[in-house]
Amino acid sequence: MKADPKGVLTGSHTLTGNHACAEGAFAAGCRFLGLYPIVPSLEISERFLERAPEVGATFIQMEDEVSVLAAVLGASWTGKKSMTVTSGPGLSLMMEHLGLGIMLETPCVIVDIQRAGPALGMPGRPAQGDMMQARWGSHGDYEIIALSPSSPQEMFDYTIKAFNLSERYRIPVALMSDAYVAHLQEKVVIPPAEEIEIEPRRYYKGAKDKYLPFKRDKDFVPRMVNIGDGYKFHVTGLTHDDRGYPVMNEECQEYNVHPLVWKVRNYVDEIIEVQEAETEDAEVIIISYGATSRAALKAMEQARKSGIKVGSLKLVTVWPFPEKRVAELAKKVKAFVVPEMNFGQVVLEVERCSYGNANVIFVPHGENGVENTDDLLSAIKQAVQADKVESVIIEFNKGV
Amino acid sequence: MNSIISAFSKGIEKSGIDRKKISMPSDVPFNPDVVKALGVDYFQIPRGRAIAFGTGLKLGNPSLKVVPVAGDLMTLGGNHFVHGARRNMELLIICVNSFVYKKIAGKPIPSTQSAFSPYSTFEEPFNFPHLGNSCGAIYTARWTALHTEELADSVAEALHKHGLSVIEVLAPGPNYYTDIDSIELELLKFYHENSTIKNNEDPKNVAIVPDEKIIVGKFTDKERPTFIDSYNVQHSKILGDKFTPHGGKNG
Repeated sequence: MKADPKGVLTGSHTLTGNHACAEGAFAAGCRFLGLYPIVPSLEISERFLERAPEVGATFIQMEDEVSVLAAVLGASWTGKKSMTVTSGPGLSLMMEHLGLGIMLETPCVIVDIQRAGPALGMPGRPAQGDMMQARWGSHGDYEIIALSPSSPQEMFDYTIKAFNLSERYRIPVALMSDAYVAHLQEKVVIPPAEEIEIEPRRYYKGAKDKYLPFKRDKDFVPRMVNIGDGYKFHVTGLTHDDRGYPVMNEECQEYNVHPLVWKVRNYVDEIIEVQEAETEDAEVIIISYGATSRAALKAMEQARKSGIKVGSLKLVTVWPFPEKRVAELAKKVKAFVVPEMNFGQVVLEVERCSYGNANVIFVPHGENGVENTDDLLSAIKQAVQADKVESVIIEFNKGV
Repeated sequence: MNSIISAFSKGIEKSGIDRKKISMPSDVPFNPDVVKALGVDYFQIPRGRAIAFGTGLKLGNPSLKVVPVAGDLMTLGGNHFVHGARRNMELLIICVNSFVYKKIAGKPIPSTQSAFSPYSTFEEPFNFPHLGNSCGAIYTARWTALHTEELADSVAEALHKHGLSVIEVLAPGPNYYTDIDSIELELLKFYHENSTIKNNEDPKNVAIVPDEKIIVGKFTDKERPTFIDSYNVQHSKILGDKFTPHGGKNG
């Protein structure tokens, strides 16, 4: 399916990451925004609210982030593509309904513009501290899809991708950006509507009285209907059977929850996207995502100039983690260098998936690390020199 | 619970509204077959969030009649209720108040479920109709679960109101008591016998007070613009013809 031209602002623009995200949402067909204002995501809502009347979208500012995601899930069941935008403190409050979205298999997009935490942290300053929360934050077993953009253009592209994945797999998708990319202003090219691929909602087409809201199709995904269309359906956040009726036993828990995990795990090859540069001959590979990818590519070039064979693996999809590819590369390289704007989150996955075959050197940094590649370059040098297989954490600000 | 559902069903019948247009987000675990028989769309969602979820349903499709049936309305759902009423979001909230009246030493006192609270409770309950009315609800009423006719009439009437309506239903809700039937029936009778109907009473006078008759009836019935009305007026004022109203009055 092609994009609805009504929401597509075709042309070449200079946009901030946040404004590009709002445009991406419109282009993807998003017609409902639930929000509670929070720095540094404000400009997404601002742009959405400004353009919503002409695009034909609706929005509401709710009383808190708990209710925001509840409203977004409700709106999604009426057939509207829905999203919310927030930052760490808001994401914490959304965890209750993230779980509900997973259990009710409700497509929606949650944009998290990460800021330094914990607690109130530094509202305007970037971080990547919510990566594990996005993966594990709600209780119980589930899989999630999370994407991480590194430029305003990618904010536009990946917002569309997030909506498409959420419809395809009937799952909430997190767009994990950060204050750096959100406030960066760059050229964003918005293609004509007919060049934008949109994943349509997979609707049930059978007889009304035969509809089972959680009966899985061949692709593991149950078909949806819009409420108010006379299907008289019953859905519950409790463990349920195909009818959506609660069933409290182990068999049903397995029947219900296993597919929530496997509908993602079985399709990792379709879902996962990574961008590789110069990995063929690399001794050291920098694995990065989001804003840190910018520094990673810069450091790669600088290291290559000084004769060190460095490659880059940029994670477009952070969750599910590209386990297979990292394991393959671990057998070929001496070390991975993993820069993150946190104290070590995705690096744990890199360590796990290396299975001891490569050194893993973690480079934690604040936002200056996006511009300054010194830490990365010293980590790369260390990686080349190290012989035995061990993980190293480059320490910064240790003595403060 | 069943008496509430049957009164609700009767109310829908009386209102003449198409059941398929009614959706019911709820934190009350009803028997799914009973809900299915109602012929509405039903969502069982986390405690207290029925109004928030319902807000999304209503905005997503303004032609729906959204009826959040809430058991945990004023605890987890307190803020959602207050803001829903302020916005005048078009929802009919059926609040099942299971604040159980229990006789201790021959004296009725308000109590939470004794299963949780072996020494009974010492907190004051909310005066729901008063709270709803002061936050901006356009329709408030209270009935016991045995006032089935009156409850059905209220449902029918409130389904045609444009804005946030709240009907409080006093009902014992501890469905995990082993002797549930006897307790439920005893309490239902107790509520019914100890209530007095005072329609149009000022909601501030209808607090539930130990040893006094429980005042039931319809307390608030007024009009004011709904959230969607105000949303449309505001955007039309600024954008003129460029704006297509969302849903329109009552969808």
